[in-house]
Amino acid sequence: METSLTLKDVSWRHTVRDYSSWKPWAKKDGPGIHSINLEIHKGQILGLIGPNGAGKSTLMKAICGLYDCKGFDKTCTSRRIGIGYMPEQVRWEGRISVRNTLKTISLMREEIVDVENIIQIVGLSSKSDHHLDNLSQGMRQRLSLACALIGNPKILVLDEPLNGLDPLAQRAFSNLLESLASKGVSIIISSHQVADLEMLADRVALLHHGQLLIEGTLSTVRENLGLDDNSGILEMICSATGIDPGDVSLELSNDDLLPFKQLGGEEE
Amino acid sequence: MSAFTLGWHIMKERLSAGRMLVIWPLLAIFIIFSSWGLSDPKADLLSGLTIDSAYDVMFASTAFIGLSATMGAVLISFDGISRDRLSGVLEIKLSQPIERSKYARSLLIGHWGAIFFPVLILNLFSLAIIWHRMNELPSVEEFFIYTLGTGLLLLWYTSIQLLASSWAKDMGSSIAIGLGVWMTFTLLWLVLTTVVAGLSGVGVENLNSSEYVEIGGMVDLFSPNGVYNHLLELPLTGVDRGISPLASTIAAIVWSILPLQLFIRRIERMHP
Repeated sequence: METSLTLKDVSWRHTVRDYSSWKPWAKKDGPGIHSINLEIHKGQILGLIGPNGAGKSTLMKAICGLYDCKGFDKTCTSRRIGIGYMPEQVRWEGRISVRNTLKTISLMREEIVDVENIIQIVGLSSKSDHHLDNLSQGMRQRLSLACALIGNPKILVLDEPLNGLDPLAQRAFSNLLESLASKGVSIIISSHQVADLEMLADRVALLHHGQLLIEGTLSTVRENLGLDDNSGILEMICSATGIDPGDVSLELSNDDLLPFKQLGGEEE
Repeated sequence: MSAFTLGWHIMKERLSAGRMLVIWPLLAIFIIFSSWGLSDPKADLLSGLTIDSAYDVMFASTAFIGLSATMGAVLISFDGISRDRLSGVLEIKLSQPIERSKYARSLLIGHWGAIFFPVLILNLFSLAIIWHRMNELPSVEEFFIYTLGTGLLLLWYTSIQLLASSWAKDMGSSIAIGLGVWMTFTLLWLVLTTVVAGLSGVGVENLNSSEYVEIGGMVDLFSPNGVYNHLLELPLTGVDRGISPLASTIAAIVWSILPLQLFIRRIERMHP
């Protein structure tokens, strides 16, 4: 299987304010991703799954070249040329039309972009002259997808794209992604619900606390973890870490479920 | 695509923004009415400045441009980065293959153009008013220096404001920094000048004394509005604040490069 992008020991730590210091400008390393090894295959849909704060968005931003971290087989600039990125829940607003918004983004690329074609692909033709303020949540998601499609990307990175979409729009969205994948576009899609990716993803990668716990087809992952076909992220994480699902509390599910040292990674 | 093409597009977007409904009348009232009033032969200026020529009217009206156009630059640019950052749009823009420095330059061109062109249009109206009332126009050289000075002043405010917008984590801080900078350079600078003069042993009882004027001229090099005044004083005869044209030019170059480079560097290193 042809590989579109290879990640080898990719790590990134956010810089956060150090509240233990009296200096307002004091910073320290915060959460991030740690030693991620992953291959993105051409024409495949890879589902990134994990609970809130697992590092899915950070990994996606690193892949898109928003963070200048090492470990990729392509440079930051060349990744930006070939990757289309759709962030989670963009709040499009202003008195600018959908068409003009896409024109602005397309001016940030070297190649000439057929904006009208992209508007048609995402089903925004009837709204192309509407101001961003007048768009519904579903329409805003479509506009974010349209931005990701600018420049005919070889890899699409979509951060929780199904959030805020009604079931009909979700189905249409999934159909579009399958059609793009069949044309050779590699797609990375994140979700905190396994059910969202059940029918869509060819492979899944389970992330937790910035680490890649397990990766493979959904059925292989479940089989390796000794889980049945109905198991979701909670069961997967509990199985991978040895935590009893009965012991999981809100407090546990937050930070203490999986210290880095348990996986041999960097200790906080 | 060039930074200019993208900047032109950003400028058009900014010019169609709702806030222009406030900025246009604000600029028109200050720029056009000041030209109308100052070109009146019976005008009696409190500062003691005598208006003898068309350029004198334009020079005197810069006090109003220093207030209104710079405020316009703040109002246009205060959310130039912070708004996109808060909404998530900046992630999309920074994930595009455009060089970060080029994107920063296009942002600057777009925001600067959105305030400079309205000011330029109103300045041309002012010229018509001056010609109508005084039957006289400034020379081409004078108009060039006036337009260049105004363009530079707006460039400095725009780059400072965009830099502030890139630092701010929310809209409130962004506008607070912008207004703070504007107030410091427009309203509070006289207080600062007086403090510096007092600390330097120059008497502050008489603000027209030659020592105070020289100290003021020196302190003004550290303010965009001050450097703007120095530049516009170049064609005037009989004005000497102890600052050579070379010093004014160097200050203008430093003010043009420093905030711009800081802004470009900030965008290059930004993590949305």
